[in-house]
Amino acid sequence: MNEGSEFRPKILVFSTNLISDVGIDYAGLLHMHYPATTSIIRLPCSSMIRPEWILFALESGFDGVFVAADGTDCPYLRDCTERTARRIDQALELVKKNGFRPERIKMAAICSVCAEPFSNHMKNFYEMLKKLGPVKKGEI
Amino acid sequence: MGEILERILADAVEEKEEKKYDVLIIGGGIAGEESALDLAEMGFKVLLVEKEPSIGGHMFLLSKVFPTLDCASCISTPRMAAVAHHPNITLMTYSEVKEIEKRGEGDFRVRILKKPRFVEESLCTGCAQCESACPVIVPKEYDFGLRGRKAAYIPFDTAVPKIAVIDIDHCVFCGQCEMVCPVGAINFLQKPKIIKVKVGAIIVATGYKLFPIGRKKEYMYGKLANVITSMQMDRVLAPTRPYNSVLRPLDGKEPMNIAFVLCSGSRDRTVGNPLCSQVCCMYSIKQAQLLMGALPLADITIYYMDIRAFGKGFEEFYQQAKDMGVIFIKGRIAKIEPTENGDIVVHYEDIENGGKLRKAVHDLVVLSVGLLPNPEIAKVFKNVKLELDEYGWIKQKDENISPVETSIPGVFTAGCIIGPKDIPDTVVEAAAAAAHVAAYLNEVRRGGE
Amino acid sequence: MGNEERRIGVYVCWCGGNISDVVNVEKVVEAIKNEAGVVVARHFMFMCSEAGQKMIIDDIKKYKLNAVVVASCSPKLHELTFRNVVARAGLNPYMYYHANIREQSSWAHSNDPEEATRKAIRHVRMAIAYLRHAEPLEKIRVSATPSVLIIGGGISGLKAALDLSRMGINVYVVEKQPFIGGHLAKIGSIYPYGRKGWEVVSTLVKELRKRDNVVIYTNAEVESVKGFIGNFEVSIRVKPRYFKRMCKRLDEVTKVCPIRVPDEYSYGVKKRSAIILPPYPGAYPELPAIDMNSCTKCMKCLEVCKDSIDFSQEEQIIKLKVGSIITATGFKPYRPKEGEFGYKVYGEVITLPELLSILKQSDSKDRLVINGKEVKDLAFIYCVGSRQKPKGNNDKINTYCSRYCCNATMFTAIKLFERYRGIRQYHVYRDIRTYGKNELMYEKACKMGAVFVKYDENDPPKVYRNNNKLIVKVKDLLTEREELEIPVDLVVLVTGMEPNDNEKLNEILKLPTGRGGFYQEVHPKLRPVETTLAGFLIAGTAQGPKDSRESLLSASAAAAKAAGTVLKGFIELEPFVAFVDPEKCELSKTCIAECPYGAISVKNYEGFGKKAWVNPALCKGCGSCVAVCPVGAIQIRGLTNKQIEDMIKTSAKEV
Repeated sequence: MNEGSEFRPKILVFSTNLISDVGIDYAGLLHMHYPATTSIIRLPCSSMIRPEWILFALESGFDGVFVAADGTDCPYLRDCTERTARRIDQALELVKKNGFRPERIKMAAICSVCAEPFSNHMKNFYEMLKKLGPVKKGEI
Repeated sequence: MGEILERILADAVEEKEEKKYDVLIIGGGIAGEESALDLAEMGFKVLLVEKEPSIGGHMFLLSKVFPTLDCASCISTPRMAAVAHHPNITLMTYSEVKEIEKRGEGDFRVRILKKPRFVEESLCTGCAQCESACPVIVPKEYDFGLRGRKAAYIPFDTAVPKIAVIDIDHCVFCGQCEMVCPVGAINFLQKPKIIKVKVGAIIVATGYKLFPIGRKKEYMYGKLANVITSMQMDRVLAPTRPYNSVLRPLDGKEPMNIAFVLCSGSRDRTVGNPLCSQVCCMYSIKQAQLLMGALPLADITIYYMDIRAFGKGFEEFYQQAKDMGVIFIKGRIAKIEPTENGDIVVHYEDIENGGKLRKAVHDLVVLSVGLLPNPEIAKVFKNVKLELDEYGWIKQKDENISPVETSIPGVFTAGCIIGPKDIPDTVVEAAAAAAHVAAYLNEVRRGGE
Repeated sequence: MGNEERRIGVYVCWCGGNISDVVNVEKVVEAIKNEAGVVVARHFMFMCSEAGQKMIIDDIKKYKLNAVVVASCSPKLHELTFRNVVARAGLNPYMYYHANIREQSSWAHSNDPEEATRKAIRHVRMAIAYLRHAEPLEKIRVSATPSVLIIGGGISGLKAALDLSRMGINVYVVEKQPFIGGHLAKIGSIYPYGRKGWEVVSTLVKELRKRDNVVIYTNAEVESVKGFIGNFEVSIRVKPRYFKRMCKRLDEVTKVCPIRVPDEYSYGVKKRSAIILPPYPGAYPELPAIDMNSCTKCMKCLEVCKDSIDFSQEEQIIKLKVGSIITATGFKPYRPKEGEFGYKVYGEVITLPELLSILKQSDSKDRLVINGKEVKDLAFIYCVGSRQKPKGNNDKINTYCSRYCCNATMFTAIKLFERYRGIRQYHVYRDIRTYGKNELMYEKACKMGAVFVKYDENDPPKVYRNNNKLIVKVKDLLTEREELEIPVDLVVLVTGMEPNDNEKLNEILKLPTGRGGFYQEVHPKLRPVETTLAGFLIAGTAQGPKDSRESLLSASAAAAKAAGTVLKGFIELEPFVAFVDPEKCELSKTCIAECPYGAISVKNYEGFGKKAWVNPALCKGCGSCVAVCPVGAIQIRGLTNKQIEDMIKTSAKEV
């Protein structure tokens, strides 16, 4: 962030190849604007996310991590939501232990046509992170 | 086709060798491509013949496609490339099927005319230096005359194959192209060839013709520059478009009040086409949506009879256009007149407001032209008859049981050759044709063992 | 390839303006061309075009590239295209990464070109980071069983079965009802030629019965599906019919049965006993079936058909192996709510399917009698249960057009005019959608005297009774919103299509559904019968409203795709499956417990002893195991932990 310029929170998004990344694409297709300070990494399924990666993202300088989970549409797992939620729970503990605010992590199920929910999530998350201020180890 | 090329073609040399394929597909539009890929995936050897210098048909000329607003070239170019690179597909472009003889079930003998490009296909790299050097400019068919092309030219940015062709009828034989070609591919002595092939089954996928709207005199097409066809509008909106922005042809002004006239040449016995063309409502709504994006301040009016948004996702797409502010007026256009400044007056019957005759002024009018049959291919069948229906579309053997079979066993149809339809329906039908070919060939061959 | 120098080519696409109008492609190239490992970086109008592809191939050869990034549209469109491009140049196709800078940058952030450009740069940098530790991969080849399962024995299922069988592929058809034929078999004549629906069905059935590679199970449901494309294991539950042979006294036996329930084969217009007779000529199977949902086991039928009926028959579970599965479960007609346009309030308000059933059975040639009353004036109300507008409450609505109804109504209108001289018809509609050649039916109905009244979607017609007539009150848009009160003897609600109730099946197959609840295709334009689940295809009205001809086409298309899977006898799968680093693995077995496919077991590795092992044919690559491994020993091929961490790190950097 440059001195004096407005704080624009950086968000890492984990998407999934067959479901949520399609929904995120759809948001683009409909030209639904959401904060552009996002970076998107696609995975096969949101249950793959190691809690360490989320901590690593905050340590690397991301102000927030958003997990666009498969939810009930997951082509792999019937209990994808529960599994992904378990990863998030572990990640919350992990980041707290390492001095980061747990609000910096968010998860929501994004279906393949969830353009509007995704863009709303991004906007709200962005605003929330803006209030929180830039990521800093030892903030709690 | 010009006279000179015609004369050259008369001297075609017949190749001795007869090649064999499982299936011949005539027409390299989206239908032919889909059938070819499906059959190739099943393991059949496919010969795809396209009369134009590039495959792609009408679809790759379009801007975006309804109801997803996918960019047409983005989704069709990978298909075209896949067709060109599939090990089981042989592609013959700039070639015409001249004669088909049926010797028995699973045995068709075909003669194909390979037109000379006057460019060696194996050498050309598609670098387009000949195109830059050529001094001759003629209207470009692929842009429906909206801009020019050279006499030595590459048909299209996304052409498959990307090989130059020389329009010999307009060539002035200045030799510039020959001089600049870095690989020596220009060959004015190239001869047309007749290629003989033996195939087991045939899919006819030669598509449709656009309604020549000049026939509807009241609409003044060809007389008024600011009355254009929907195909021209699609070109204007495409990423590979002529003006790189939306302008009206007469004076290059950015239009602010655009009208679409639906059912231009469809549902109209006075011009000999009582059928509904099935796609015009939707492509007009699509163009209206795209125009609202390109010209946010412009007013868009669609004059319609009935909005036929019947396919999956279509009705929602129509409602979206209404929500965006596109104006829909139920009424048929009776007459179109010019004003002094190039604007256009349309006279219409305002059906939903008492049926009174009203006038409206627009600065650009788009005629949403319909689709007509393209039955020429029926003439190449020699000893068997490919039957047409009363309107000139190829007749289905039994619409209720096998919609892709024709009057000739072993000859199947894909896409608009049997009637107007949109891209999803065309793709479904092309895959269905592939299934029928596979079934037919399996039965014929097992029977022969 | 670990020690070999990484030589990466980066290609940024304009997408003919779709990208370059927002994202500054030159800046993107400038920003990444000095990244470690990047040898060449370019931008171009259409990377996917022949010229773009050729540029990449030439560069790979000229600069000896060993990895390629293309930054363009969504990977769903072109990832495969470019994998094939690098393969054509002699590279391993997995030494490729696709950066999405259109859907996820230029389109999403067209309001903020500068930030969109930064995002594009980050996405390209991530792709480069990914490739620094990428390794060549090979596809996994598995055999494919040359059989196909078709769920649903309506016109679509039967047509797909016939096509596949003719190709020499074994077919199993599973039908939930006791008889195959679906809706088409219930309908009298169908447009445009008046051919009988059941005749079309029985023609297909006759063809199918000649063949020895088709097995049809009726009264049957899919119980479970295991496995993967090419190798599905399906188990089917077949309910007994309780008829073991034909009985000659069928008339008597249905009379003796005390049960009377609405007959589904006439849309409830007739009543039937608990013994369901073959509902149409040429029906399959020929044997009646006893409906256990209504049967009270009074055993009176045994008195008539003692030798035919056998209540000791039991359910059977049948196991099948198939390479592909076509779902053709069809539709159900929209059922108007009680009171919707007077439905179920007035006996003279019926639906189009009900009218068709009445017409099919009506013997009277010159008088249409319904509810004991002759119909002289009738009104059709269109778009009932279709093209619905959101009302604010949470009612489920059908926003889609049901496609077939205008055509079917127009055909019915013509039939009515032809059969009942002097009948007056009012068509209360929104838009007449007789697309294509169907337009001729509209033209004909107009000529025969049908009166068309157009209603406003926000002010729909009302139906009420006045003396012995029903009144349809409607503001007619064609006559300056004049309020009409049309007295009629019959109101026919032109009802649309809804997806069938497939709750149990959806639990088993997990096919994705779209808006409206119909099964969702991969791509509505170019891949209309495939689903995101490999090996699963959809056909007919299960995918969306269609008429019978369109259903046939969609069925044949699904057959073509299924044949593409099974005809060659093998399939190649993507190599993105889990693998274990035996050096790291401490055999916590958490991965084994986590894997939903039972793909992980314990194996003895030479030099390492017992460690976890993944069966690549069973692994679907979800990566659930990756998350739970305490030591990071299990990873996904083509997406390793190191690659993900590098991507996180690089995208966090400022641009």
